[in-house]
Parts: sequence; C-alpha cells; structure tokens
Amino acid sequence: MSQQSLTLPPTDRKAVRRRRLLELLGAAAIAATFIFLVLTQPADIAGGLGSVSSLVALGGFLLGALLLIVGVLPTLPTSTVVLIPVALVLNIVLGQLMGTSGLPFYLDSIGTVLIAVLAGPAAGAATGALSSIVWSFFNPTVLPFAAGAALIGFLAGVAARYGLFRRFYLAPIAGFVTGIIAGVVSAPIAAFVFGGTSGAGTGAIVSAFRAMGDTLLAAITKQALISDPMDKAIVFAIAAMLVYALPRRTTFQFPFVRRFRVLAGKEPAARNS
Amino acid sequence: MAARLNPLTSLTAAAAVLVITTAASSWAVSLTVAVGAVLLSAAAGIVRRVVLAAAAVVVPFWLSLLVIHGLFFPEGRTVLTSWGPARVTAEGLTYALEMGLRTAAFVLVLMVFSFSVRIPELVAALAARRVPPQVGYVLASTLLLAPLVAARLEKVRQAQESRGLVVGRGIGSRVAAIRLQMVPLVLGLVHDAGIRAQSLDARGFRSTGPRTSYTEVRDSAGQAAFRVFAILLAVAAVVWRIAESLPAGSLSAFPQFVGGA
Repeated sequence: MSQQSLTLPPTDRKAVRRRRLLELLGAAAIAATFIFLVLTQPADIAGGLGSVSSLVALGGFLLGALLLIVGVLPTLPTSTVVLIPVALVLNIVLGQLMGTSGLPFYLDSIGTVLIAVLAGPAAGAATGALSSIVWSFFNPTVLPFAAGAALIGFLAGVAARYGLFRRFYLAPIAGFVTGIIAGVVSAPIAAFVFGGTSGAGTGAIVSAFRAMGDTLLAAITKQALISDPMDKAIVFAIAAMLVYALPRRTTFQFPFVRRFRVLAGKEPAARNS
Repeated sequence: MAARLNPLTSLTAAAAVLVITTAASSWAVSLTVAVGAVLLSAAAGIVRRVVLAAAAVVVPFWLSLLVIHGLFFPEGRTVLTSWGPARVTAEGLTYALEMGLRTAAFVLVLMVFSFSVRIPELVAALAARRVPPQVGYVLASTLLLAPLVAARLEKVRQAQESRGLVVGRGIGSRVAAIRLQMVPLVLGLVHDAGIRAQSLDARGFRSTGPRTSYTEVRDSAGQAAFRVFAILLAVAAVVWRIAESLPAGSLSAFPQFVGGA
C-alpha cells in the first residue's frame, strides 16, 4: 500500500510484517477495550468513580492508538507524512474555536478527514491518533479520545476508498454514518474518564437525558448520537469542499487518490467552487 | 530543574503519577497530586503559564460537571433541594467534586510535563529509542507550524479583505467568508507540504540506516533506575486496584447494583 521511493532501497519483508502486526494489535486493543467497557459498565457509577473502567479505558485506547501510530507512520510516503502536521494544526485551530463557542459540535477532525481522503484509511487513523496526542500538549483532556479520532480517520479513508467522495452529496452521508460509529465508541471514555463532560454544549444535552433517569453511559451515548453524526456530516462536507478546491496536480500526487479514483467526478468541483 | 532531566524520565514520571491517581480515585490523592503539580511548576518557574492554561481547560469542565451531576443524578438518595425535574443530591455533588479533582490533577500533571519539556530533546530521546523518525518529525513540526499557520491565516484574511470581503450578519455570508479564507489557506499549506516532502526525501528522511543527532540528551543510570521504579509502581497500583475490585468487582457487583437501584 505504500509507494516505494525510487532512490532508496525497499524496506525488508520482516519489518513490513512486524508493522502490519502492530497495526492489527492496535486495532484489536481498541476493539477489546470497547467490548470490555460496554460489558462491565452498569456496575460503575453508583459506587464512586469506577477507577477500573477509567484505567481500562485510558490504557486500552491509548495503547491501541500508539501501536497504530508506530505501525502505520513508517509505511507512509513522505508526501503524506509532511501533510500530517498541517492536518493537526487545522484540527487544533478549528477545534479550539468550536470548543469556546458553546455549540454542541466539535469540528475538530477536518484535517484528519482531509488526510484520510488524500492518503487512505491507515494514514487517516494515524493522523487522528496523533492529533489527539499532539493536541494534549495544550489540552490534556483530549488525550483519551485518541482511539475515537483514529476510528474517524480510518472510516473517512474507507469512505474515500469506495468512492463516497466522488459526489459532493455522498460525503455528508458517509460523515453521518461515521459519526454514529465514532460517537458510540467514544462515549465510554467521556463517561468513565471524565464523568460525562466534553464541552459546555454537549453537557447540557447529557444532563437532559440524565434528568429522564438514564445511566451515565446511556445518556452520553444518546448525546453522542445527537451531536456526532451532525458534526461529522459537516466535517466531511467541509473536507470534500477543500479537496475539490485543490488542483488536480496536487491531489494526483497521492497514490491513494490515483489508485482508487477517489475524486473521479470533477464536475461537483466545478459546481461548488 | 525539569530541563536537566531526560525527557523520557519526566514523561514516565507524569504517566506513573496519572496511573496511580486514577487507580486511587480518591479526592485526597487527586488534591495532593494537583497541589504537587502546581508546586513543581512553581519550582520550575512556569507556574503562571501552567495555571492559566490549565484553568482554561478545567473551569468549563467543572461547570459542565456541576450541571450534569449537581442537578441531575438519578442514582442519588440524599436530596438536598429540588425544583422541577432538577434534584440536587449529595451523591451527585460528591461525584462531581471527585471527578473534578481527578481531572484537575490529570490536566495539571500533563501541563507541567508539556510546558517544561524541550521538544527537540524529546524528539532526540525518542529517536534514540528507535521510535520511527516520522513520529518525532510530526510532533516537532506541528508545534513549530502552529504559529506559522495562524500568521498565514491572518495574511489570507487581509488579502481577501483588500479584495472586498465583507463579513455580514447572516449565516450565509459568514460561511462564505470562512470558505474564502479556508480554501486558500489549505491550498497553500498542501502545496508547501509537497515541496517540503521533496527536500526531506532528498536528505534521506526515509532511509533506515543509523542516524546521528545534534542534540545530546543527558541520561544517567539513576534516571534509568527511576524510570523502571516508576513503571513498577504504576503497575503495582493497577494490580492493587484490580485485585481490590475483584471480590465485589464487575460481575458479582452487578446484581447488587440492580437491587440497590
């Protein structure tokens, strides 16, 4: 999946296999953590903070994210690696802006989705995880959400791979579905690590569900199902708009775009720009 | 003080403290850790920056916790006051307080690390540990790039304004203005990244051979021993917490909870 540079010797088979193993282990750690949290959740909130769940959520999701990063990054072509910092800055700048606005949206993954569309699911997942880690230098509370961010990048890449970014109206639909999945996976972190908080706007929705007597995880999952699909639909639409605005010379530099005809339809670009 | 440490030592220490705080999950431990982090930052001379940055994160967080758990906590028994659907319960307030303190400790400890660490040293230390060089590149490059991108956005805005961009009241005009600024910004950044990729490749960025580093990272046997000790301590805390929870733990506590609720 990675394109070998012409001037450098190809990486040996063993290293490639080891990295693939790291990727699989990372994905397995994230999946196992989520399943464990959902199966054991009801015991927790009544008896204090539920520190076993917090530890498992923190440890499992972070470990998975780190394994993904170490496994994926060395396989990416340099043109993608240099784009990752740009994506991270876009995530952080726009995410901080939304975090202060009080709206129940985050819009903190535009850069991640952009990379995923240009460079594929693996690059998207690594970018999402890295985004959380680098952002945590300014705002440590986003660190535990690394696995959710990786999942968003991965799903955006899969959507691009199957041509959902060829038409402008398909991108928000893919975003909506991604938001449902990512929201459900991230909810246990908000619930067990932070007691249900990830922003002022979302907090109001969570307390509304709590007032109806839901458990904390149920309330947060419902809140996530309200905010996240809308949020990701907007993010995917913005990312699609940005990709269409890029010149062909730039987008076709990426092997992923060429190979899977990610942007075959150029007509929407003409209509939207 | 922190600058003389190997960045991996302070990172290990921060991670171990976080794990132990989470495992303990008591307000006294969280408060101690939070106060300790503030004192440590005072000793390192960064207390103002750390406290301001942490407050910007933690204060909205506390307010949100207070709204969620202070007003609505269906599991709470001791009702202090209630109006309409909102019931202020002692359990809810305790939960909000404990969670708030634990998060404050979490944020402060990581902030002390991130404000005291020197990024070039961290990158060099990671590379010495055979972490792929791309990780270090992304970390350092993002932190350097952030102010550049902000400056560039400002330039784009000025250019568009001089071309007649006026941001009106309506949401449509505002969205159009955002688009007019974002598209040139992203275009320029992606284009720059392509040029950077070529020069990095020309300098052997992807080569897998041995690398030398200009940055000498200090390390000592004492620090290495401390790292091992901190990791062992964190593992012990996790094992203790899991062992503690097992008798009344996840599965056996389940019917008790259902009965209690």
